[in-house]
Amino acid sequence: MNVAIKIAIRFFLFWIMQVLVFNQLEFGFGIHLMIYPLFIMLLPFDTGIFTLLLLSFGLGILIDAFSNTFGLHTSALVMMAYFRPIIFNLFSQREGYDPLKEPSLFDMGTRWFIFVYGYLLLIHHFWFFLIEIFRFNEILMILQNTILSIIISFIVSLLILTLISKKSKFK
Amino acid sequence: MRKLIAFFQRFRVFLFFALLQIISLSVYITFLAFPRFQYLTTANSVTGQIYSWENDLTKHFNLSAENTKLQEENIALRAQLPKSLMKLSNNTVKIKDSLYKQQYEYIAGEVINSTVSNRNNYFTINIGEKHGVKRLMGVFSANGVVGVIHSTSSHFSVVKSVLTKDINIDVTIEPIGLFGLLKWDGKHPARGNIAGISNDLKIPRGSKVLTRGGSGIFPKGLLVGTVDAVYAIEGEAVWDVVINFSEEYRSLQRIYVVRNLMLEEQQKIEEGIPIDKEERQ
Repeated sequence: MNVAIKIAIRFFLFWIMQVLVFNQLEFGFGIHLMIYPLFIMLLPFDTGIFTLLLLSFGLGILIDAFSNTFGLHTSALVMMAYFRPIIFNLFSQREGYDPLKEPSLFDMGTRWFIFVYGYLLLIHHFWFFLIEIFRFNEILMILQNTILSIIISFIVSLLILTLISKKSKFK
Repeated sequence: MRKLIAFFQRFRVFLFFALLQIISLSVYITFLAFPRFQYLTTANSVTGQIYSWENDLTKHFNLSAENTKLQEENIALRAQLPKSLMKLSNNTVKIKDSLYKQQYEYIAGEVINSTVSNRNNYFTINIGEKHGVKRLMGVFSANGVVGVIHSTSSHFSVVKSVLTKDINIDVTIEPIGLFGLLKWDGKHPARGNIAGISNDLKIPRGSKVLTRGGSGIFPKGLLVGTVDAVYAIEGEAVWDVVINFSEEYRSLQRIYVVRNLMLEEQQKIEEGIPIDKEERQ
């Protein structure tokens, strides 16, 4: 399948799923389930930084328009997209990345994925709750929300990843 | 000049990132204060339409509970009808009463989208300017206060709910009659706080919290919740009052918007209060 079409379909699916399904789930304890960072994570290795930033800005604005957060998701997602190349460089192998592979669990290995996606989620979620709460005396609540949300978001992201990846191709 | 261009060349990624970041953050911050871009909220017609389709699908899940709630409200209202009151004396003559004048009108609506787990939670409702909804009108439900209208479009509105950082609805604690401001600390959607209650008076657990009706947004005496616990704040002469909201915001569906017919009159006369600069903090 053409890469551009695949990305467009994923863009639409992640947006619809976040807005109509995951935004409606209430866990309590300040947990906010966000799965759309996975879309930015799964973009091909050779995606330019400007494309990354623009895609994250677009997806963020669309999600904001549907959840009454007015720019909060956008800001956090743009922040994460800016850090994606930096984190990728930190965890690159000696020979660099193979542009034919996908930055997912099944192509790059469990260890790589947990660290890279974990760091990116940490940046995204921390920035999100920091801007949303924005009070120094509620720093404990920021940390609690961040940590609990990361755990839930990561697990759900793994489930989605197993659904959308064609694992059999690499056996 | 060449150095300037070289600077932009070198930092173009960061500058682009900063530009996007500034756009989104400035939209966010201006929005919290005053809504300017209508199309970025769920009050715009496209998102509003999609959410009302979704609501058409999901609203039936709670139908029986919702019906019982409405029924209970009907029973309470029916009890106040002249029909259900016994006539105690027969020699009264009915005349056109000019003692009472209608002050509040209510517009019924339905919540079509809501969150309760964010720090600031906004609800979208399916009535808008065409139905007479305006910014800063009060919103309540059968069980209690819901919030204040934040922005409107022709068919939908966004409500700034009680579950936001700076909701500041003025409330009183009955039967003592103390005044305070309603707050929410963002921890649990069933519990709120009241600020500004001085600690020289005892507050019994379970006392009712009602709206004060001072700002003209809500009528006086709407239920907000009941006092759950009272804590002392070290070094301050006020109580930290924790209340249980009487409304369950996680399953809220039917709401009413308050239109105060005498709001302008009240605001006009209150404009005359001189503002003391030292009092403004």
